[in-house]
Amino acid sequence: MIRRPLLRFRPFQIVPALVAPMMVAVAAWAATPQEAQKARHEHYEELGEAFKAVRDNSRGDSPNWAALEKAAQTVLEASVDQQKWFAKGTGPEAGKTRALPEIWTKADDFTAAQKMFSDRAPKLLAAVQAKDAAGVQAAFKELGGSCKNCHDNFRAPE
Amino acid sequence: MSEVPAPPPPRLRVWDVPTRLVHWLLVLGFALSWWTGETGRLEWHRWSGYALLGLLTFRIYWGFFGSSTARFSRFVRGPKTVVSYLRGTWAQQPGHNPLGALSVVVMLVLLVAQIGFGLFAVDVDGLESGPLSLYVSFDAGRMAAEWHEGIFEVLLWVVALHVLAIAYYLFVKRQNLAAAMVRGSREFDGEVPPVEGASRLRFIIGVIIAALFTWAVTKAFDF
Repeated sequence: MIRRPLLRFRPFQIVPALVAPMMVAVAAWAATPQEAQKARHEHYEELGEAFKAVRDNSRGDSPNWAALEKAAQTVLEASVDQQKWFAKGTGPEAGKTRALPEIWTKADDFTAAQKMFSDRAPKLLAAVQAKDAAGVQAAFKELGGSCKNCHDNFRAPE
Repeated sequence: MSEVPAPPPPRLRVWDVPTRLVHWLLVLGFALSWWTGETGRLEWHRWSGYALLGLLTFRIYWGFFGSSTARFSRFVRGPKTVVSYLRGTWAQQPGHNPLGALSVVVMLVLLVAQIGFGLFAVDVDGLESGPLSLYVSFDAGRMAAEWHEGIFEVLLWVVALHVLAIAYYLFVKRQNLAAAMVRGSREFDGEVPPVEGASRLRFIIGVIIAALFTWAVTKAFDF
């Protein structure tokens, strides 16, 4: 009878096998600035996707209200969550990002810009829920203004 | 003994009005699109893009149904003919020489690609986009935008090369091709087949096709 080893590990595999889960655990517990930057980037891409969805679904005679509501919710959540996306140390000093240092050096101005976004976002959702097509266009335009307001001052040009 | 001035060389009709109009309107449209794109005037950028789309649609139609010097079948030639032109053994005909023809094809293809990608492009905030972008995802629209920006760089180089070539013809070969594209004729002392024009009806049909197609695009084919 062939005796099989209890643990199917060769000695050189033991170290990575022990280290890898530890690294995952550490990563999950303490997001590095680079990870925060990456997460922020993905959040904004999600936001871009939502804006596109608002544009695409509000055109024509019969807007897709269900899709619009979903998109407007995403926008509303982002307008609140974005307060958490700009932790100290996640600026250009940490890695490649379009976030400008002014976000932290002019924190009061930045907070005001963020507030413009979070003030206007609920209006979009309200117009969608009221099935007010003209209201949606108006709210969307106003929201776009808040995007531009922040980007002009706090986001690096491409 | 007084010298009788030599008579001016005979003028040869080369480019018809539609071809010349399209050429210079393309220049204008390209410049406008460039400026409006760079300065973020995207509403105007879309309009100048639509104008370019109409012009290109008409030019392609004219390339099949227009005057003889505008037709692709008359001037687009393979590599062997290009070589024979460079060697000086090409049998002259009015209109684009084989090398010029190559540059025309390259520019037309690039312009079509540029506009094509622009129609599907989405900006980074999802706020501004081309009319057909609703048919693609945000990611695909972003990629279209990146290709739109990349092909523009290539176009700039090709346009620069084109201008350099015209300058070369003017200063070295002493042929004023830009004037020919304005006046529609050039001085020519030789035997070449005459240019055949195309009827006004053909022109009107081309304008209608271009206008209808462009309008359909602005409506995203959703009527």
